Amino acid sequence: MNHDPFKKENHLRTKLDEYHLDIPDFQMKPKGKRWERIINFLASPAKDPLEPLVSTTAGFTVLKLAPIMGMAAISIIQLFFFL
Amino acid sequence: MIERADELMIAYQNGDDDALAGIYTLLKPALYSFIYRYTRDQQLSIDIVQDSFVKLQRYKHHYHPGKGKIKSYLFQIAYRLLIDKLNRRKKWQSFMPFLTPITKEELHHTDRLTIREAISNLPDKQRAVILLFYYHDMKHEEIAEILTIPKGTVKSRLHTAIQSLKVELEDDFNESRSL
Repeated sequence: MNHDPFKKENHLRTKLDEYHLDIPDFQMKPKGKRWERIINFLASPAKDPLEPLVSTTAGFTVLKLAPIMGMAAISIIQLFFFL
Repeated sequence: MIERADELMIAYQNGDDDALAGIYTLLKPALYSFIYRYTRDQQLSIDIVQDSFVKLQRYKHHYHPGKGKIKSYLFQIAYRLLIDKLNRRKKWQSFMPFLTPITKEELHHTDRLTIREAISNLPDKQRAVILLFYYHDMKHEEIAEILTIPKGTVKSRLHTAIQSLKVELEDDFNESRSL
C-alpha cells in the first residue's frame, strides 16, 4: 500500500502545482547523428578563460607582463645551468 | 494513456514501426518534464529524451510487459543516461572549467521561481524521488525500479525531500499560516 505523504501538505501541494512547464516541439532523433551533436557541443558558447584577467586593469597588466617575466625566468634558469 | 502506450509498445515489438511515433507522442511530454525539472537544462533534456528513444529502438526486445509499464522502462533508460551524462560533464568541468556552456535562465513569476529553486536545491537523489512521485504519479515500487534503489529508501528519501522543501519554502508557509 502506498501511503500519500502529501495528504496533509496542502500548501506544499499548491506550491508544487505552480511549477508548470512549456514542452518544446522537437522530433524523435533518427539513429546515429553523433557527429551533429559533437559539432553542436563545439559550437556552443563557452566562458572565456582569460576573462578575469582582461576585465580588470591589474589583470590586463599581469597578462602583458607574464610573457616578459616568463622569458626572464627561463633566461635565469639557463644561466644557472650553462654558465 | 499509459495502457495505450503499453499496447503500442507491444505492437512495436511485433514489428509495427508506426507504433513508435505513438509512444513518442504519449510519453515525450512526461519524460521531458521529468528531465527538465531535474536538470533545468533545456538542451540536455531534449538530448536525453531523444537518446532514450534511440535506446528504446535499439533494445526494444529487452522490454517485458509483465515486468512493468513502458513508462517506467523508458524513465529508467532516461535516468541512467542522464546520470552518465551528468557524471561525464562533471569530470570535464573539473578538468576544464572554462568549457562550461553558458546556461540561459528563463524569467518566470516569482512564486514559480521559488518552487523551482527549492526543487533545484534538493540533493539529486531526493529530487528524483519527489519529481517521480508527485509529478508523474508513480508508485514507490516503480520509483524503486527506475532509480534502482530499495522501496524503503524511496519512502525515506520522499519523506526527507518533503521536509527539506518545507524548510526551503518556510517563508511561504509562515505567510500562508498568518493569513
